[in-house]
Amino acid sequence: MDILDILVIILLLTGLFFFLGGAVGIIRMPDFYSRLHPAGKLDTLGIFAMVTGFAVYNLHHFSIESLLLSIKMFLIVFFVFLSSPTATHSIVDAGMRAGLRHWTKKKRKG
Amino acid sequence: MKLLGFIVVSLAGALLLYGTQDFPAWGDPQSPASVHLSNDYIEKAVDQTQVPNLVTAVLADYRGFDTMFETAVIFCAGLACFLLLRDFSKKRERYYRHVSTGVILHVKNQEKKLTVGNEFEYMDKDWVPSDLIIKTICRILIPFIQIYALYVVAHGDFSPGGGFQGGVIFGASFILMAISYNLKTLVNRIKEKVFGIFAAVGVLIYVGIAALCMPMGGNFLDYSKLAPLIPGDPGHIRALGMLGVEIGVGIAVTAAMAIIYINIVSEGRHDEGL
Repeated sequence: MDILDILVIILLLTGLFFFLGGAVGIIRMPDFYSRLHPAGKLDTLGIFAMVTGFAVYNLHHFSIESLLLSIKMFLIVFFVFLSSPTATHSIVDAGMRAGLRHWTKKKRKG
Repeated sequence: MKLLGFIVVSLAGALLLYGTQDFPAWGDPQSPASVHLSNDYIEKAVDQTQVPNLVTAVLADYRGFDTMFETAVIFCAGLACFLLLRDFSKKRERYYRHVSTGVILHVKNQEKKLTVGNEFEYMDKDWVPSDLIIKTICRILIPFIQIYALYVVAHGDFSPGGGFQGGVIFGASFILMAISYNLKTLVNRIKEKVFGIFAAVGVLIYVGIAALCMPMGGNFLDYSKLAPLIPGDPGHIRALGMLGVEIGVGIAVTAAMAIIYINIVSEGRHDEGL
């Protein structure tokens, strides 16, 4: 068990934590907009921690091929980082434009 | 009516389920497919075609006719969308929006047109201001999506992928452009005619490569007879023939996707929608 393994385990557990929190949040949050919030978090930070863990694990036997594979993994993270918050943003935008009211704690009259 | 539909669907489903009783058991080594065909493919495909990916070898070589007509089906789907939905009538009132002030002009005279540019832009009843964040991100992403689509097409005979998948990804990049800007941007940039020509050319490439084998002395779709035309290792010629065919499929699928999307979202008018 060297230092790299410990780092990989910590990264994977961090990713797992965010994925678990995101999954619970999607189910437990009260309405459309607040559900999108954990969904966006889960896609960005969860995937970032997980894939960083994989990429570091992949570098155990260092060579040009494994480095290339790790760079490809980070490309996935990069594109998810770009597209996931944009998708969340556009979904919220569409909801606002369609006139969906946000959730409030008070009961609405009527 | 709903009940009648339900009864018909249930009967058809029951008949299909009854029909599956005659199927061989799941993974049965004595079933006809596992006895003759699969073993033949697995043992001989690499020697015969020099293609590392068995799925591609079966799809584009052993069952080339099937894939050819699948491509023709995609082309027909695009053509059907065009013929059924395309609306050439120009009897419409136009709306323009003054960009800097946001004033909306309603032009009832159908002959009059305003030049669209920095000052005025088209709009319609579903008009939404294009969002800066979405526009910027899509502008960054679309080239990467298109490069990835070309990668998928080019690697069809080495790894999972091929013409259909690559074509769909390439078509999706056009659709993303139409969503993030507006449909007008896409239609102005790539004319409807170009899409139509590309859809036909894609099918033609496939059929052309297949037909080219006949004057070279082989059967239809017998890629190995193309060897004199292409310098290089003659053993690899089947893989190259498949690559050519996959490129044809990719072009046809890309164009058909775009035609279907444009015609459906704008109900054939090619100016607004979504």
